[in-house]
Amino acid sequence: MSGVLVVMEQRAGRLARINWEALAAAHRLGAPAAVTAVIAGAQTEAPAAEIAAKGPGKVLRVEHPLLAPYTADGFSIALEQVIRAEQPEYVVFPHTYQVRDYAAALAARFGQVLIGDVVSIGDGPRFTRQLMQGRLNGNYRHSGSSPCFVSVQAGAFPAELSNSGPAEIASFTPSLDAAQIRTRPGEPFRAAAQAVDLGSAQMIVGVGRGIKDQANIALVQELAAALGAELAASRPICDAGWLPMERQVGSSGQTVAPKLYLAAGISGAIQHLVGMKGSQCIVAINKDPDAPIFEVADYGIVGDLMQVVPALTEAVKAAKQ
Amino acid sequence: MKIIVAIKQVPDRDSPVHIDAAGKWIEESDLQYAMNESDAHALEEALQLRDQHGGEAIVLSAGPERVGSTIREALAKGADRAIHIVCDDLGARDALGVARLLAAAAKQENPDLILTGLQSEDLGLGQTGVIVAELLGLPHATLILHVEKTGTGIEVKRELEEGWFQTIELPTPAVLTIQSGGNKLRYATLLGIKRAKTKEVRQLAAADLAVDAAPVAVLEEIGLPKKQKSTQMLAGTAKEAATALVEKLKFEVRVL
Amino acid sequence: MTLLFPTLAEPQQFSVAERLLFAGLAVASAYAFWRRFGVVLDKILKSKKDASFHLFPIGKRVRDFVWEVVFQAKVIRQRPAAGLAHAFVFWAFCAFVLVTLNHCAGALGFGFLDPAGTIGRFYFWFAAAFALACAVGILGLFVRRFFIRPKWLGEKLSWESGVIALLIFVLMATFLASFFVNGAGTAVRILWWVHTLALLTFLPIVPHTKHLHLLLSPFTVFLSRGSFSQIPPLSGDEDFGLVAGTDLTRLVSLQAYSCVECGRCTEHCPAANTGKLLNPKTIVLGLRAYLNDLGPASQEPLLGKYNSQQAAFQCTTCGACEFQCPVGIEHVPILVGLRRGAVNTGAWEDDYGSKLFLALERGSNALGLNPAERDKFIEKQKLPLFDGTQEYCLWLGCMGGYDPKGREIVADFARIMSFLGTSYGVLRKEKCTGDPVRRLGNDLLFQQLAEANLEALAQNKVKKIVTICPHCVRTIQEDWKEYGTPPEIEHHSEFLARYADRLPRVQNQEKIAFHDPCYLGRYRNVYEQPRRVAALAGEVVEAPRNRERSFCCGAGGGLTFLGEETGERVSQVRAAELAATGAQTIAAACPFCNSMFRDALAARGEGAPQLLDIAQLAARGLPRPDAS
Repeated sequence: MSGVLVVMEQRAGRLARINWEALAAAHRLGAPAAVTAVIAGAQTEAPAAEIAAKGPGKVLRVEHPLLAPYTADGFSIALEQVIRAEQPEYVVFPHTYQVRDYAAALAARFGQVLIGDVVSIGDGPRFTRQLMQGRLNGNYRHSGSSPCFVSVQAGAFPAELSNSGPAEIASFTPSLDAAQIRTRPGEPFRAAAQAVDLGSAQMIVGVGRGIKDQANIALVQELAAALGAELAASRPICDAGWLPMERQVGSSGQTVAPKLYLAAGISGAIQHLVGMKGSQCIVAINKDPDAPIFEVADYGIVGDLMQVVPALTEAVKAAKQ
Repeated sequence: MKIIVAIKQVPDRDSPVHIDAAGKWIEESDLQYAMNESDAHALEEALQLRDQHGGEAIVLSAGPERVGSTIREALAKGADRAIHIVCDDLGARDALGVARLLAAAAKQENPDLILTGLQSEDLGLGQTGVIVAELLGLPHATLILHVEKTGTGIEVKRELEEGWFQTIELPTPAVLTIQSGGNKLRYATLLGIKRAKTKEVRQLAAADLAVDAAPVAVLEEIGLPKKQKSTQMLAGTAKEAATALVEKLKFEVRVL
Repeated sequence: MTLLFPTLAEPQQFSVAERLLFAGLAVASAYAFWRRFGVVLDKILKSKKDASFHLFPIGKRVRDFVWEVVFQAKVIRQRPAAGLAHAFVFWAFCAFVLVTLNHCAGALGFGFLDPAGTIGRFYFWFAAAFALACAVGILGLFVRRFFIRPKWLGEKLSWESGVIALLIFVLMATFLASFFVNGAGTAVRILWWVHTLALLTFLPIVPHTKHLHLLLSPFTVFLSRGSFSQIPPLSGDEDFGLVAGTDLTRLVSLQAYSCVECGRCTEHCPAANTGKLLNPKTIVLGLRAYLNDLGPASQEPLLGKYNSQQAAFQCTTCGACEFQCPVGIEHVPILVGLRRGAVNTGAWEDDYGSKLFLALERGSNALGLNPAERDKFIEKQKLPLFDGTQEYCLWLGCMGGYDPKGREIVADFARIMSFLGTSYGVLRKEKCTGDPVRRLGNDLLFQQLAEANLEALAQNKVKKIVTICPHCVRTIQEDWKEYGTPPEIEHHSEFLARYADRLPRVQNQEKIAFHDPCYLGRYRNVYEQPRRVAALAGEVVEAPRNRERSFCCGAGGGLTFLGEETGERVSQVRAAELAATGAQTIAAACPFCNSMFRDALAARGEGAPQLLDIAQLAARGLPRPDAS
């Protein structure tokens, strides 16, 4: 058993950045020549060409009409056949929702587990993943026979661009029967368009009394729009009618836990804190350096909202270009 | 519907995290334990299905004696009975080893549905339910927010990345891993606790389930991550601070 | 002489027919009376026995009875004019006992009071004085109810009240008129019969109307639970609170039937005053209607057709209703009992409520925050840890430990304690005392919290506690008794008042409006101490509703953890009242009041008074920590 298989994932023909990161991770486990990138689906020609340009040793197109839409059965059966044919030492996945759905089942077929959501690979190889919700790191070692199944966390392995020539593209047609696919997935959809859905927003900009005037809310709205974030408010803003009640975050409003919560002009009174403390990253802008909000913030700017907010909007827009 | 809910007792989210002397796990003496959060949502989903369609909601949990308190909590919230796989070395098994225990116990019951939480708050592997499905040869789906019974099986609502969702139809028996937040948890009541006293808790010894325990992935040591949470104040003019923040958002927080 | 001091005239002779008529009517009246009263008495006696009722110590019961019933103190104090009028009616009734007995006995030839004799003359004059006062009083009350129509008496005009008023007036008028007629002659006979008919009509009406309180309320006052807002422990495995009729105890049923519908509870209720569904009078009358229709053996839920669950969960447990109910109804245990019935059985489904319960099921504080936050505060503020040697354990509570404002109050209080040289320490770990879940009726969670805390306190060898939060004080001192023996505890206002002489005064002409917290004032009878402390920093002025009449801030009863209120905000109403005193500062003595007023005052914009705790006011005079 030798070599590294990297299982790529396409969504509507597009390949996300995490795929290149998985490729970079694979290079820690084997020389580029020993790395085979696998792309599965009903249409794999275009993505395969894109992958070939990124420098794996070989690209393997696993194509079958029953592989679209994605199903756990389809992918497990097809990839099991690929792995038995290719006999790799390692199988590397990007840690996506899709991979979380089938990779462990696939590994179990080989009497293996998935060492999942790895943030670094050290000598040994030693696989590091996060425990206790990020408060601890754990180092894992694989024992027993091959293959070793690993998935990598988004953003953990910087994607490297290769400058070697395009790789060889091969094909593998798995043997799949419609009766083997036991689940029937429907078309993806977005949640019914609600007026305000703070609960599922990835980023939220919260505005508080520091904004001083209703007219200034427009400034914060521009920042939210630039970020692609939802607008929320502390209670006094909603009480004053400057923003509707549905945008209230706090003990008597909604509790949110987005990836980013930017608190503009919010002091950090407990009623508001309990509503957003669970946010993954908190940024606070306030002119009072002693405002309690800074105790819970990951990043803080002490300054005048009227200056900082527009500056931030500009900087965000520039970064997104 | 006969529904089995696999529940894990985990250290409380706010527990102090001190690495033990061996460097392989955290000090357990000062820990408080609680039901894993997504498992609580799985239990709630099972109870709602049971209330709607009749049948039984059975709690299944593996672990040492102390797991009994979490099992009783599940019974107090409304589960009908429980199976406790008494196992003192759960930490020494990997996901496959644990799944083998659960699958062996579940198989005896022949359920219509097996629900687990999406992932645990301590190890966060998110695989046990998926492996159970594989071991039992059952169809499965993950990241489920809602379950409906249909004439031919079940229809579930699955969470996808970036605010998308999907419905999936599958036949029963099946295994589902339930995401947090899909339903509203119920609180423990005095009435529930009193009723739980008479509910059956069947104990199985891990050894009796004749399952191979040697782990394939071994946790060798644990350590504290280098970055500890502290507030980074960004100084300078508005423009300078804004630029610095955007850098952080792009490269450290990775939201831009 | 006889013109100035006329004698009561009575018919000298009654014919046999008259006697028979009288006897027949009397029997009929008594029968009609018993037909209804018997039913009521039966319902009360068939209700569940109160498991934790103790007749002794009896001293307080006797004192309350004399003060509230005999002297009508509560009735007069809270509504002086109407109260005095009622008091006269009551005293007239008392005075008339012998008159009435004599009246009936006389019809059958057994009269024992001779209007011409010394005792008789004295007694009838005595009664006449009261009769006059009563007649005037009842007239005044009639005008008030039917013409002035204060809103807490309700929208609908009560015809039964009108009839009763008329009957009482007739009774008094006929009695008085009898002084001015001749003993022989038809006038006296007519008066006598009118009086008799009024009496015999009145008697059976009593148990059919709120005038049942005539018979019941003296017992209700005497047999109360013994202390203010005392929540009875659950009795046995099958008791989950007031779920259905079978859970209504004798005390509760007695209280339900004693309600006079005066509406004094409604008048002071913060919920009723801000447009909520809750009206304490309606709650009590709802129970009465339930008992009338279904009785104490019914399994139908108490919260449903007869009382709304939504209303029951709008109560802040401020106690203003119970505090001045003239007939001894204990509203707070009733409301908490109804909540228990809903929560202990899982019938209450509320997102915020569930969130609170789930947070305390797993965690240590009501806010759902990581206890490490409290550790950080203790470290940053350099608060000493309690090690068993210090005199006081300073209990932070959820607000003191986690709320930025609460922490400021703790910091200032700690400074004062250090200044005074008092030895104190804070516990390394605290769990919420359970006050919000206790008032919301979650006995499972409350028991867990109380027992865990009592054990921790015992392990840490805590003897005396001082804290900034009146809710913690009440819960620790009273409610934890159900599960163990709590240590001594006092509120920081009581502590500071003792040392007020040693604290520097700030020479300031600032006006300070003090707000009496419900759990310090009505619940603990502490009114002067916080004022003494506040006086260190300026001149204390009173809000219109102060001391035992203080108007709630709206946070109690667990409501601060529930969702948005309907109607006006209680906190805003009270904040407006406090601001209207013209004070520059509003002084609070409870971190919850502080939190509620903070938002309410902010909504008033610039120019609103500043808000400070009494500890912060007292600490003003101390040298600043960073001063060299």
